[in-house]
Order: sequence, then structure tokens, then C-alpha cells
Amino acid sequence: MLSVGNTRKGMGEFKVHRVRFFNYVPVGIRCVAYNHQSNRLAVSRVDGTVEIYNLAANSFQEKFFPGHEGRATEALCWAKGQRLFSAGLNGDIIEYDLEKMSVKYSVDGFGGPIWSMAADPSGSYLAIGCEDGSVKLFQVSPDKIQLERTLERQKGRILSLSWHPSGTHIAVGSIDYIAVLDAKSGSTTQKMLMDKRHPGSQRRRCVVWGVAFLSDGTVVSTDSAGMVQFWDSETGTLVQTHPLTSSDVLSIAVAEKEDSLVVGTAEGTIFHFQLIPSRSDGKQSQWVRTKPFQHHTHDVRSVAHSPTALISGGVDAHLVIRPLMEKVEVKNYDAALRKITFPHRRLISCAKKMQLLLFQFPQRLELWRLGATDAAGKNEDILPLSRNAEHLLQLKKKGPENICCSCISPCGSWIAYSTASRFYLYRMNYENNSVSIKRVSKLPKFLSSAFQILFSGDSAMLYVASNQGSLHVIQLLEGSLKHLHTFQPQSGTSEAISLLAVSPDGNWLAAAGMSSGVSIYNLKHLKPHCMVPAYNFPVTALAIAPNTNNLVIAHSDQQVFEFSIPQKQYTDWSRKVQKHGLHYLWLERDTPITHITFHPKRPTHILLHDTYMFCIIDKSMPLPDDKTPLFNQLSLREASENVRRRHAHAFKISKKFQPLLFMDLLDEGTLVAVERPLEDIIAQLPPPIKRKKFGT
Amino acid sequence: MVNLRPRRSCRTLPVRLVVDQGGDEEDSERESSEEERQDVEFPDGDPVAEPMADENEDEVEDDEAPEEVTFASAQAEAKEDERRLRDALRRDKELLKEKRKRREELFTEQKKRKLLPATILEELTTAPQTKVNESSSELKKGNVENENKEKKEEKMFPKRVKKRYMACRLKDQDLIDLRQQAAKGFLQKYLYGRGSNRTTVNKFLSLNNKRLLVKKPAVQFVNNSWGMERKQNAKKFKKQWMHKKKLASRRPNII
Repeated sequence: MLSVGNTRKGMGEFKVHRVRFFNYVPVGIRCVAYNHQSNRLAVSRVDGTVEIYNLAANSFQEKFFPGHEGRATEALCWAKGQRLFSAGLNGDIIEYDLEKMSVKYSVDGFGGPIWSMAADPSGSYLAIGCEDGSVKLFQVSPDKIQLERTLERQKGRILSLSWHPSGTHIAVGSIDYIAVLDAKSGSTTQKMLMDKRHPGSQRRRCVVWGVAFLSDGTVVSTDSAGMVQFWDSETGTLVQTHPLTSSDVLSIAVAEKEDSLVVGTAEGTIFHFQLIPSRSDGKQSQWVRTKPFQHHTHDVRSVAHSPTALISGGVDAHLVIRPLMEKVEVKNYDAALRKITFPHRRLISCAKKMQLLLFQFPQRLELWRLGATDAAGKNEDILPLSRNAEHLLQLKKKGPENICCSCISPCGSWIAYSTASRFYLYRMNYENNSVSIKRVSKLPKFLSSAFQILFSGDSAMLYVASNQGSLHVIQLLEGSLKHLHTFQPQSGTSEAISLLAVSPDGNWLAAAGMSSGVSIYNLKHLKPHCMVPAYNFPVTALAIAPNTNNLVIAHSDQQVFEFSIPQKQYTDWSRKVQKHGLHYLWLERDTPITHITFHPKRPTHILLHDTYMFCIIDKSMPLPDDKTPLFNQLSLREASENVRRRHAHAFKISKKFQPLLFMDLLDEGTLVAVERPLEDIIAQLPPPIKRKKFGT
Repeated sequence: MVNLRPRRSCRTLPVRLVVDQGGDEEDSERESSEEERQDVEFPDGDPVAEPMADENEDEVEDDEAPEEVTFASAQAEAKEDERRLRDALRRDKELLKEKRKRREELFTEQKKRKLLPATILEELTTAPQTKVNESSSELKKGNVENENKEKKEEKMFPKRVKKRYMACRLKDQDLIDLRQQAAKGFLQKYLYGRGSNRTTVNKFLSLNNKRLLVKKPAVQFVNNSWGMERKQNAKKFKKQWMHKKKLASRRPNII
């Protein structure tokens, strides 16, 4: 669906192409793992994608591993030394290299599909629960993992696994029973059978979806009958049972201090249990269900417990971080609920001259041409289309790996995309009304996989950031490529580059690493130019202005910097902003800025957007302070000229188009806004549990 | 009246006993007359040999003790039997062994005929290693196009091929996939299967609409897939009709 509307944007009137035909459906979350040392969250999705969120940096997604068709990840865990492992139904244990952003190796578990995996409290052993009922212990050595021994084989498939905090025993949950195994000898010390008379259908067996082992010997189990049960592993008896719902309770996570735990159900509710002292002297304590939270519509497949927050993720692809009020030190905006649904990276590229949009899906690329209108209208009008938007091309990926990044050249004649191991480049031809595509097969050897791809403004050069940290500059000729230069990483570490930006005149290239600063390269002389001073929050968007060659950087804590490349220092305006400070409402936004662009005729304007707003920063106007309202565009429009002159400030924000996935300036008077309403996403999700509401 | 043959054995024994012991006079007289009679009746054979012959002859009555067989002879007989058995078994085993050997040879011959000539095998083992894993899974998926492209590329750029190969059996791959499918089936069955209380997204979202003051229609009000076949047929028919009309209008109308 596309409509063209007229909107007045501060100083300027634009025709806006509202694009709603990007059929983006985020993939459901399968596992969530929290790392205490680095305060990072690893999230794995159903298609095998693994994302790392930095919870300290405003929960920004800083690292991303594209998925693979063969991987059906069922478990994710952190081991000693910040190492990330995942295991899935294809039977392999995979280690991820967080520096080089690739898969280090995969080891076969030899037990069939792996259902669960947990690292022992010291982080030097990994236990996996397999389809054939065996629990295998792997030793984590500095460069590999090795099978050490197999514990006593159980009867059914091992669906959940938990280590005792001392590392001596392992509790496993299977179908209809829970067993406690001794890690040293491998024998079963205790077996607890589930009650067959549970409520619900008698024919289905009771599946233990989650277990947790506490240090006092209590085993907590969550099962498909909707109950959370506390067992004593010494005697093998049931101590407490909490029937929560009639549907399954799918996941459980315990805090490090073992005084609170969180469970997630198939109805989308998460329940918080706390250990409350039952006597006044605090000698005896009991587990009590305290708070339910309903932030999901579909099954909550995985939960995690950080020291201050409950983290949950499920089939509806929301990642919800719910800080606990009693654990939060300062009651400011940080204690608010965070719900991450939309991507923190740009998935859309735009060929401005040809009015083409390239949409990146995990398994294909789609090329669309925007519609056109001949009518003109006043403010807030919806203009009729004379030509509809056209779906020109669908490019399916080759091989089992998902697409990592993609780009279209500004003239629209080159499309490039990359998976984790291969690079693909296509030449496009538009004649009359048809599109023809031809693959460029003779690619140089070093172009194996890219983390970022960018074309120059005149579509003559291709810049590829590989995941070893090196940056390749390639010249595009009519039928072939010519490798001009490769920039090695400046800082000395081989760290992957997350963002690229090129100046419109083609002389400067800026590359942002994942934790190092932004490096700037001189393309005319093919030499490194300088490095922007490091900032402790990751970069979310990068762009170089025309003519002035000012680099505008947006960070995940919502700070915006402007760096002058020819002068190798921050601009005066940027220093002014830093001294004045940004408005508190600007800093409290919880989605990162993903795209920055500029107006060709107005050098003082910077256009940027995040998921819920679109802003034009006018550098010539005064900066707002905390007392003036930030979102005053609508009110100023009605006001008189005097009032407008007094109250207008530099940040002109519009919240008309929400949720925004992409916004760009096509030419002087036209904007394109790609929206993705949440209802359209929900309509394509798997079926949820039936809920009964009073009065319906 | 049955004419029983006199029991010689009974008579001879008591005579011998009495004679040995030196018993009564009455017996001795009678015995002497009996002895004479006996001598007349049985001229040949001593009384010792008689019992065995007698036993063999009358098999009806066996009040006698079983025949005395010495231990040595019995052992010898038993050993003889065992040896015969063992020999028979050995012969059978050897026959089977021979059969098996012949079959194995036959199979190896067939295999040799099936395999490529030795020269090509040598070449393969010395050539660099590549990952055949990916190509096998691609083959299974039926992505023939991709495979052909890869092959083409490899043919055109032999210098580039310095990758590592890892061969795996397609049979094993089937096994792995079957288990994975079984695992996924289990998950589907328990979460979305018969006993799970699931509903469609449309119905789920319409719960909110039902409690509003102003009732709204369902989120997915129009079922776009309704009558799909008929719509497609109609489209096809329309195309054909327009084509026919075009042809008809081109042909000159001869009046």
C-alpha cells in the first residue's frame, strides 16, 4: 500500500511516499542468555540468527550473526572467558567468534538432536542433553571443546538441563520425570516422577520444559501441565506446587543470588517468584509467586534474569526487558520497560535517482519501484497515484546461509549482497519497462564475505568491509571489477566494521568499528586520514554531508556529534551542542537512530530518524533546553509569527509516520517513509493460545 | 495249561551254593540226582557261561542283574561317539567356511568391476580436499541450478580450488535429517498439536474489538484466499478472450 501525502516539515514542504509494502516479519526469539560479567545479552532466533545486545549501552544490538537454514538452535549459553556456544536440533555445538563475527567451529554432539545445553558454574564444562537420552559433558579448552564423558543414559529425550551451583550434580528434565545425575560418576542419584493425575488432558504426557537447580538442593521444574513444582533432591519428594495456567510453562531462569526466579508461559505471561522470609527472624523462607507481567501475545520460549531486570523473548519476536522496581537504584527513565521489536540496523537501501527501494529479508531481496503522482495538494492531503508501486525483482538467496547485508547503487544499476561466506554482485539493466539482471561471476578471491557494503555516490566505486576488519576499495567498470586498494584496520585489532559512510564527492570514507572508534580514510590518496576520538557507546548511524564534508555520528545513548573531516576536529556546532546538552526527552528515546541524510540545497539541515520519530535538525536555530517542549511542531504551526519566532528551536520532530523502518530524501521536495505497522506483523505470526475474556 | 520251560538257571544256582556250603544230607541226595539229570540234559557249556546265553535267549524275564560292562570299555565307547560327533561338526563347519570364502571372493570381484580404475582413484586421493557436505545437501534439496553453477565456476577457475574437502555418506545425511525431523515433529505436536488450546491470530485480536464501545470489524476481515481457483480461471479466460478479440480485429473484415 502506498500513499503520497503532503506534509509541512518546519521549514519546507515535502511530498511523502508512505510505503507499507515492505512485508517485514521479525523472526521469533528462541533462546536468551545473559552474561553477568559483561552485562550483555545473547539472543538466538528460530532461523539461527544470533544477536548480542549491550544492555549497558541502552540495550543496543551491537553484534549480529546471520542465520543458517540447517541450524535449528535450541540452546544458547555463555562459558568461561566470554565465549558463546549454541546447540540445536542438527546435533552440532557451535562456538561463535565475537571478535571476528563468524562461526569459529562446530562440533558434533554424537547424540542426535541436542535439546538443551548449560555451562557449569565455573564455566569450564558444557553439559548437553540429547534426543537419545544421554547427557554428555564437554570440556572447554582454550581453542576447542572436547567430549569428556557421557553420563548415565535416561529413558526419554533430555529437554532441559541445569547444574547445581557447586558443579557436582546435574538436574535433567525429560518427559514425565526429572532425574538428578552425579557429574563425577555419571550415575543417577535421584529420579522424581511427575504426577500423572495433572489437570488437563490425560492422554498427553507431562513434558518438563525447564529445570533449575538451587544451591540448597531444591529442583524447580516447569512442565506442560502449567505447574511450577519445587522438589527436594535429597529425598526425591515434592515440596511445593504452583499451578499457574492450563497451558505450558515453557522456561525458567533463576537470579544469581537465588532469591528470585522468573518463569515464562505459553500464554505470553511471565511470573516472578520470590523467596520471602516467612518468619520475622528470617530463618525460614518460602517461595511465593509475586508478580505476573503480560507483555507478550504469544509463547514466551525463553527467559533470563539479570541482577536488576527480567528479560523475556518469545514467538512474537519482542524482546522485553522489565526492570524490577525493588532492584533499581535510581528511579529514572532507566527503570522503564524496554520492548525491542524493530531492528537496530538498516534493512532498506534506496536508489534515489531511479526511485527504487531494495528490501533485505533474511532469505531474499526484493526490488520495488515507487509509484508516482501528478497531482499537487495542500498540507495533510492524500494524493492519488497515477502509477502504482511495482515489484520489479525478487532475488532469492543461494545456499543455506542467510543474507547478512545488501546494498543498491544510487543509479540502480548494481546490486550487491553477502552471506557469511560468499559475496554476490549483480548488474541491472532497465529498458522500457523491463528489468534484466546479470550476475558478475568473476569476483576476486578476497571478496568472500562482507559485513557492510556501500556504493559511492556516482556508482563507480564499491566499498566492502570484510569481517577481518579490512576495507576493500573496488572500482566498478562496465563488465569487470578492478581492485584498487585494501585498508587494514587502523587500531591494530582485527575487529569487524559495523557501519560505512562515503562522502558524496567520493573523497572520504568513514568506517565505524564495533567497539573501536570511527576511522576516516582519504580515498583520493588511498591513505588513512584520522580517527574520531573514541566514545564509550557504540555508533548507530553515520553519514558525511555534501560540500562541507562534516561527518555526523549518532551513538546508542542518543548523542549526536558532528566532526569536520578536513579540519580533523569537532565542529563548532557540535561543541555547542555538547556544552548545552541535549534535551532530556531526546535522550530518553529508546530506539536508536538508524539513518542520517542531508538536504542537497540546505547545508544547515540534518535529517535523521529512529523507529518512532523523524527529525530535521536545523543548525542555524537555537537549541532547546529542558524547560521548553521538544515536540512543539504541531503547536507552532497554528501559532502566530511572533510566537513561532520566539519558540522555534533546532529540533523539528514529527511523529506522524510510525513505526518507521527507513526514511530518506529522494530529491528536494520528496521524502520516502517505509512504515511497518505492528498489526501487520502480528497477523503473520503462528497461532497463540486461546484466551478467555470476560464478556466475549 | 502252559508248558513252561524249566528254569535251568534257578536250579543250577542253589545246587552250587549248597555244594559250597556243605549243607543238609537231604539236599545233597536230591542235588546229586538233579546234577545227573542236568548233566544229561545239558551236555555242553559250563554253568558260568550259560547265564549270558540264557539271557540273550529269553528276553521276557529279566530278573538278572544288568550285564557287567567294564569301565574301560564304556569309556572307549563314549570317546568313540564323541569323536564321531566332532568329526561331523568339523566337516560341516569347513563346508560352510568354504561356501563363505567363495562368496566373498565373488563379491570382491564384483566390487572391483564396479569401482573406477585405479588411476583415477590415485588422482583423487592426492588431489586437494573440498567440502562435499554442502553440495550433497544442495543435491538433496534439488537445487540443481546452483550445483551446476558451482561446477561451472570450478571448471573455469581451477587455480582457485585449494579448499578442503570433507566427504560424507548420503545415507548418514538421511539419518541425521530424519532425527531432526522427528525432533521438530515432537515440538510441533506438543506445542501446536491436538491437545494444545490454540486459536487463530484473527480470533485472538478480535477479542479486544468485542469489548469496545463501538464494535470494530475483525483484523483480517476479508479472506483473500477465498475462491482462489475461480479467480485464476477467470483471469485466464479474460486473457484468452482479449487475445481472440485482437486477432479478430486484425483480420480484415470482408463484407
